[in-house]
Amino acid sequence: MSTIVEHDQVFLIAQEVFASMIDGDPGLLQPWTGDLPEFEEPIVAWVDLSGDWAGRAELLTATATGHDLARALLAMEPDEVVTALDLVDAFGEVANVVGGNVKSLLPTQGKLGLPQVAPVAPVVPGAVVVQELRLAWRGMPLVVTVLGFVPADEEGTAGGDIR
Amino acid sequence: MIRVLVTDDSRVMRQIVIRTLRQAGYDWDVREASDGTEALEAIRADEPDVVLCDWNMPEMNGIDLLRNMRAEGFQTPFGFVTSEGSPEMRATAEAAGALFLIAKPFTPDAFREVIEPVLA
Repeated sequence: MSTIVEHDQVFLIAQEVFASMIDGDPGLLQPWTGDLPEFEEPIVAWVDLSGDWAGRAELLTATATGHDLARALLAMEPDEVVTALDLVDAFGEVANVVGGNVKSLLPTQGKLGLPQVAPVAPVVPGAVVVQELRLAWRGMPLVVTVLGFVPADEEGTAGGDIR
Repeated sequence: MIRVLVTDDSRVMRQIVIRTLRQAGYDWDVREASDGTEALEAIRADEPDVVLCDWNMPEMNGIDLLRNMRAEGFQTPFGFVTSEGSPEMRATAEAAGALFLIAKPFTPDAFREVIEPVLA
């Protein structure tokens, strides 16, 4: 069944974002194989999309991985301390770029919100998972999710699973 | 020395843009602003050679900055560096007077391609 954004499209976006912004090498972001472990101190970055199609692009990982992402983005030393501000800025910006590129795939253009970062993303009633990508960045687990916010009278029409 | 004003609410992204500018070549004199309001003040104080600007920012966003600049008579070469690169946004940017739109993620080559004609 076709959805508004396909799994492979989201994977290519994520791979390009990580390669261009962080690694310089698309091979460092790969599908996760096997069961996904529990995230220790999870951190979520997301951007909401509004308009004819409303939804969210979300990245979930462990805080320690978020610190590594921030260090890579800011060209910091491996043992350098990442401030809370830099963590929010860096991880949020990755979600922002992923979300902006997901938005470009939509048939109609809406509005992209500002990136948010928190231990847990706020739940939107009736949200459906359009795509969920379990990934390994430098071997560390990271999940990219595209959610669709479906009006109550249209639930079940987006081809995703109610969250 | 090319005087550039890099405007983005993300310090991380400003740093990446500046790093990429240096990788793209040329000798840059860089100033930074974290939103459109701050950028407009910086332009009024000392007009740069080129403005590179995010679209989606708190306070004053990029398109409003560009429209305000043109309304105040600043014809500074202006380009967007933004996570959204849809045809609609490119058309809106062009209509407001932007010379180019670089979609994130980007490469030094992407910067070189759009900056060179501006500097020519």
